[in-house]
Amino acid sequence: MAAGGTGGKTYSFKVVLLGEGCVGKTSLVLRYCENKFNDKHITTLQASFLTKKLNITGKRVNLAIWDTAGQERFHALGPIYYRDSNGAVLVYDVTDEDSFQKVKNWVKELRKMLGNDICLCIVGNKIDLDKDRHVSVEEAESYAESVGAKHYHTSAKLNKGIEELFLDLCKRMMETAQAEERLKGNGASQSASSRRGVQIVDDEPQATPAGGCCSSG
Amino acid sequence: MTTQRRGIHLDQSELLCKKGCGFYGNTGWQGLCSKCWREENQKEKQKQIQEDWALAERLQREEEEAYSRHQKAQTQPTITPFSKFEERKTKEKSSKVNTVTKFFTPSTKTPPKKDTPFDAHSSPSPSSSTSRHSSVGSDYATREFIDFLKPLKSGREIFKQCRAFTESMVYKRDMGADELSECVQDFYQNLSDRLHTQFKGSSDHVESVMDEVEKYMMTRLYKDVFCPETTDDERKDLAIQKRIRALHWVTIEMLCVPVDEEIAEVSDSVVKAITDVIEMDSKCVPKEKLACITRCSKHIFNAIKISKKEAASADDFLPTLIYIVLKANPPRLQSNIQYITRFSNPSRLMTGEDGYYFTNMCCAVAFIEKLDGQSLNLSSEEFDLYMSGQASPHWPQSSGASSCSPGSATLSQVHKRLDVLTGLGERQERVMEKARQLESDLIDWTDEVEQKVQSVLESIPAETQNPTATTASGTTSAASSAIDSDNVENEHLPPPLLPQVFAG
Repeated sequence: MAAGGTGGKTYSFKVVLLGEGCVGKTSLVLRYCENKFNDKHITTLQASFLTKKLNITGKRVNLAIWDTAGQERFHALGPIYYRDSNGAVLVYDVTDEDSFQKVKNWVKELRKMLGNDICLCIVGNKIDLDKDRHVSVEEAESYAESVGAKHYHTSAKLNKGIEELFLDLCKRMMETAQAEERLKGNGASQSASSRRGVQIVDDEPQATPAGGCCSSG
Repeated sequence: MTTQRRGIHLDQSELLCKKGCGFYGNTGWQGLCSKCWREENQKEKQKQIQEDWALAERLQREEEEAYSRHQKAQTQPTITPFSKFEERKTKEKSSKVNTVTKFFTPSTKTPPKKDTPFDAHSSPSPSSSTSRHSSVGSDYATREFIDFLKPLKSGREIFKQCRAFTESMVYKRDMGADELSECVQDFYQNLSDRLHTQFKGSSDHVESVMDEVEKYMMTRLYKDVFCPETTDDERKDLAIQKRIRALHWVTIEMLCVPVDEEIAEVSDSVVKAITDVIEMDSKCVPKEKLACITRCSKHIFNAIKISKKEAASADDFLPTLIYIVLKANPPRLQSNIQYITRFSNPSRLMTGEDGYYFTNMCCAVAFIEKLDGQSLNLSSEEFDLYMSGQASPHWPQSSGASSCSPGSATLSQVHKRLDVLTGLGERQERVMEKARQLESDLIDWTDEVEQKVQSVLESIPAETQNPTATTASGTTSAASSAIDSDNVENEHLPPPLLPQVFAG
C-alpha cells in the first residue's frame, strides 16, 4: 500500500473495476471520466485504463481506474490486477442475479487476499432498467453492510450516482491513507535513523558510500 | 643504575633512524623513522599487491583451462537446453580472463594476438565485442546522465551516489536476484525521499530525475542483473517459449478476439503490435521496455477500435494481447518481466499507464501458462489432440484457417490478386487474337479490293479499246465449257461423211 500518498500533498490511488462481462463496467468508467455513453463519435482509443484528477477538500488526488477483463476464463488472473490497489469497484447488473453472485465471490476473495486495506464499493448498475430488476435493493444493501462495503445504485445511461460513487470512494481511500501515514509517522523516526544509506545534502559535501541499503528498517 | 646508564648510552646511536636521515627511529618500525618507514612499507605493499595479482591471474588461467577441459568432456555429447547457459558462463569467464590479461600483457602485443589463446573455445571475439559495445553504451549513458544533472544544484552529489552505488552492485552480483532488487529499490526509495524534501514536493521534477537515475544505473548494470545466473529465469524463458510454440494452433475465434484482420489497417496494427512486443528484449532500461509494451497496447487498441467501432474495454484488450503474445513469441519473455518487476521505479508499475499494460502482459503470460481446453471453449480431448499435433483446427475448414493468422489474410489477398491477374492475361490473349484476326481480315479485304479494282481496271480498257471485249467473258464461258474448248480441233476436221446412194 505504498501507493497511498506522498507527503500529504498529492494522493495517487489505484482503483480496480471488477465484475462479470456485460454489467457495464466500461460504460460506467467512460461516463465518469469522459462523460460519454454509447457515443458514436469516439475520441478515446480505449476505456480500460483511465485517469481522473480530483481536488477534494484542498487535497489533490490522482485516480487511476483499471478495468479488468470480466470473462469467466480470466477470473484466475484477478490477483495480478488488484495487487497494490487502494480501492475496488465491484459492479453487477441489477437485472442479472448471476452477476451479483459473482460480486459476492469477488468480495470474499479480496477480503481474503488484501484484508481491510482495500476500500470496497458494490455497485448495482443499470437502474434505468428497474422494471426488470432481479436483485432486491434490501438484499444488496444488507450484504454490502455485512462485508464492510458501501453500496451504490448507478445508471451509466442516465448518468446517475456515478459522481457520488467515485467521490465517496476517494474520500474513504484518503482516510485510509491518512491513517496509514499516521501509523508510519510513528515508526518513521526510528526507521529514518536506521536508514542512513543515501543522503542528498547541499551544504555539507559528503560522499556517502551507499552501503546502507541492507539496513531496511 | 648502571644498566640504565648503559642503556641511555647505547640509545644515543640506536635511537636514530637506521637510514641515517637524522631523525629518531622507532623499534616498532624496525628502527626506522616514520617517514622512511612509510616509504619502505609502501614499496613492500606494492610488491605484495603485484605478486597477488600475478598469482590470481595464474590461478584463474589454470582454473579456466581446467574448466574448458571439463566442459569439452562433459557438455558436448549431451545437447541440453542448458548448453547455451553453460556456454554463456564460459564466455563470461573468458572475457573476464581476457580483461585481467589485458592489464598484464605488455603493450607491444597486438590486439588480435591477445585473442588467440581463447580462440580454441567459445568464440571470444563476439563476447569481447559485446562487452566493448556495452561499455560504449554505458559511457554514453554516463555522459547523458552528467549532462542532465549539470543544471541541478545537487547534481554532482546525485551522480556521485549513483556511481558509488552502481559500482558497489558489481561486487554483489553473487547475491540472489531478490536481494539485488531490494538493494536497488531501497536506493530508489531513499533517493526519491531526499529529492522530495529537496524539491519541496514537486513530484514531476523528482520523477524526471528518478527516470534519469534509473536509466543511468540500469544501462550500466544491465549485463549483470538481467537474467542473472542465480535465478531460473532462463529456464522459465525456454519453458514459455516452448509452450507458445506448442500453442501455434490457437485461433482468433477460440480466444474471442474482437479483431477483424481482413481489414488491411487492422492487420497492419496487429503486425506493428507484434513488432513492438518483440522489440522489448532489445532495450536495457526498464522504462524503455515498458514503453515497448505500451506501444504494443496502443496498436492493439487501434486494431480493436477499427474492428468494433467503439473504444476498447479490458474485455476486448486482454484476449487480443494474449493473441499477440502467442503470435509474437517474444524472446526472453520471463526474464524481461522479472527484470522490469525487480528494477523498475515502483511508482510507475503501481499506478501509471505503463503499469497497467505491464500488468496485462503479466496476466497474458499467466493465462498462457495455465491455458487449458476449457479456457478456449474446447473439450479436453480436442485440446490434447491439438497440443500433441495429431489434429489441427485448420484442417477441416480451410476458409477458417485463412482468417486466423495475420499472414494468411495477406496471403488470401495475394491469391485474389493472382486470380485477377490470370483473368487479365486471358483477356489480353483474347484481345491479341482478335487483333490478329482483324489484321488478317484487313489484309484479305485490301487484297479483295485490289483484286476487284484490278478486275474493274481490266474490264474497262477492254470495253473501250478492244472490240474483242467479249473475249474475257468469252474465255470465261469457254473456261466454263472446257470440255468443248478441247474440241477446237474438230473444226479442222473434214466434215462428216454424208450418206451416198449407189443404186437407184
